[in-house]
Amino acid sequence: MLLNSVVLILQEILEAALLVSVLMAFTRVINLRVYWLAGGIGLGCIGSLILSLNMVTISEWFDYVGQEVVNASLQFAITLVLALLTLLYSLKTPATLKWLPFCMTLAVACSLTREGSEIFIYIEGVLSQPPHIRPTLTGSGIGAGIGISVGVLLYYGLLGLPQHWIIYSCLLLLAIIAGNMSAQAAVLLIQADWLSSSIVLWNSSNWLPENSIPGHLLYALIGYEATPSLLQGLAYGAGILSVLMAWSLGRICNKATP
Amino acid sequence: MRSIRFFLIASILAVITLCNFVAALQGYRASLEEAEQLFDRQLYQTVELITNLHTGHFESRLPHQGDLAYQVWHNDKLVALSSASLTTPITDFSPGFGHANFDGYRWRTLVHYDNTHDNWVIAAERTDLRYMLAESVITQAVLPILLGIPLAGLLIWLIVSRGLKPLRDLSGQLKNKQANDLTPVEIPELKSELAQVYHSINALMRRLGTALDREKRFTADAAHELRTPISALKVQLHNLREELPAENQAFAELEAGVERMQHLVEQLLSLYRSTPEEFSRNFTHLNLYQLAQDVIATQHDDFEKKQQVLELEGEECLVEGDPFALATLLQNLLSNANKYTPEGGSVRVTAEPVGNHVCLKVEDSGPGIAPTDYGKVFERFQRLNRKREVAATQGCGLGLTIVRHIADLHHARASIAPSSFDSGAAFIILFKKAEENEHR
Repeated sequence: MLLNSVVLILQEILEAALLVSVLMAFTRVINLRVYWLAGGIGLGCIGSLILSLNMVTISEWFDYVGQEVVNASLQFAITLVLALLTLLYSLKTPATLKWLPFCMTLAVACSLTREGSEIFIYIEGVLSQPPHIRPTLTGSGIGAGIGISVGVLLYYGLLGLPQHWIIYSCLLLLAIIAGNMSAQAAVLLIQADWLSSSIVLWNSSNWLPENSIPGHLLYALIGYEATPSLLQGLAYGAGILSVLMAWSLGRICNKATP
Repeated sequence: MRSIRFFLIASILAVITLCNFVAALQGYRASLEEAEQLFDRQLYQTVELITNLHTGHFESRLPHQGDLAYQVWHNDKLVALSSASLTTPITDFSPGFGHANFDGYRWRTLVHYDNTHDNWVIAAERTDLRYMLAESVITQAVLPILLGIPLAGLLIWLIVSRGLKPLRDLSGQLKNKQANDLTPVEIPELKSELAQVYHSINALMRRLGTALDREKRFTADAAHELRTPISALKVQLHNLREELPAENQAFAELEAGVERMQHLVEQLLSLYRSTPEEFSRNFTHLNLYQLAQDVIATQHDDFEKKQQVLELEGEECLVEGDPFALATLLQNLLSNANKYTPEGGSVRVTAEPVGNHVCLKVEDSGPGIAPTDYGKVFERFQRLNRKREVAATQGCGLGLTIVRHIADLHHARASIAPSSFDSGAAFIILFKKAEENEHR
């Protein structure tokens, strides 16, 4: 139970910590206040509570695939918000820059709503089995500790880079996060039979199984899958491209403006 | 602004947490494997015990345990069993450890062939119970690592705070220094990492002190040395006026030049006296309206000469300030209004309380200042290209800079706005109102 809890909680916390760290470093480098983070965390906690408390009802939606559809929607929303954030930043006008904190609050709130609801549901389920409470809570504590520590070190690691590299590193990481979110959303929609699974792109189960600890970590960090489908690969690429294209589009518009 | 202390605490705690927890996980996995081997050895001993007990064909003598099942088979006949076990073989008759599923659980099995008595002994233990027992023991060992993190955080916070204390002390000393205090910084216990900073700051203080002393001496000497010859020049000019015809152009220009030079010297001295480094804060409660009346009285002749209408409006209003400095401020504002207002124009001075502030306003009916130039007006030696009819007006470009400096020294805000006349500028100084009861 302890190891299962570590893996599950670490995976969820790491995804959120990665997003928060990158956005905080981004905030620092563009000289914004980090007040948006409190709003994002607050909204995320409320959202995750609402989602987890109503999960039974939600899972009955859309012919009993409501949970998958809602989670996929949240992940797509994160991808879109990250692309919008990049576009607004790259336009660099006072009117667009003032919307950045709102976008960051929304991205963190969506991420925490999804990750937090899964943690709530897991912990709630375990609490009904007294023998498993101690190992589960210990494992959850360890998983959360590792996830938050990686987030803190990533944040300071990013801030330790030369000034002009920070922004590019943040944008690259945001693109990877957007790709990861998009791919995970595609997997959920395949599970819900809303999308049909297609050709498997590769099989790396022998080299790096998904259920190994490095596999779980890579899943949380870059969305690693041992047997990704073509659709999943396309979604991953689309997520990354959405952020990179938003950046390019913003820069083009910015240069075109006299 | 990023804090060094927060950075150190957060990053050290993150590294410790990461290393400890990863090590704890590794320890957990290794301990689970060790426990598995221990349970297997225990199962082996159980099988040996059952083998020794079942030397003949008789029933089980072992007490029943819920987490243990066993069977003894002889010539394909079940000759002994625990009550929990099946009547069919638990697993295949192949010697060694394995797994089997029955009774709704997964079991760890050990099959042993006793060739002395031709018996097959099969023993099985529930894997979930073995796992729970092992996990419960190992969790007890892992839990203190988890609970130790807050304690580690507290200790790191204390140690980092203690370590950064000399830096905090140095920063505090610099922050608390008065603007004119250039004495060396004193650190009771100098740390080697701060030695260079400490020596550099004190060397800078010394150099700054020397430079300021030099400037002070120069200004005092210059004031003395320049005032005297200017006064002598003026006396000579007065004598010369007697000898020359009244309309002599060269003489008029010479006289204007000497006037300008005297004005420039006086303004330079005022500016020097009113810089923050040298300003002596002899603040008292004073009535700004009364002060305006006094200053107007001394400068009234200048306005008379240009037939300008000079009004004073407002009421008694108290501010905290230096009377000499505030009189200089008013003189400069009035002089500025007098210069740039055409003959027959109007100048209005208002001193009145506005909410928690006292507003001093000097408005003129001159040509005014373009809003785009508002920011430049208070800069040193700034003479705007105003479309004045009084282009010949003499000025050195320091008057409004002095006004701004004096306002800053009084924590007042100086600003410019269009005047309430048809044209012209209004110079507004907003002071903080002094409490009346303090005055009394």
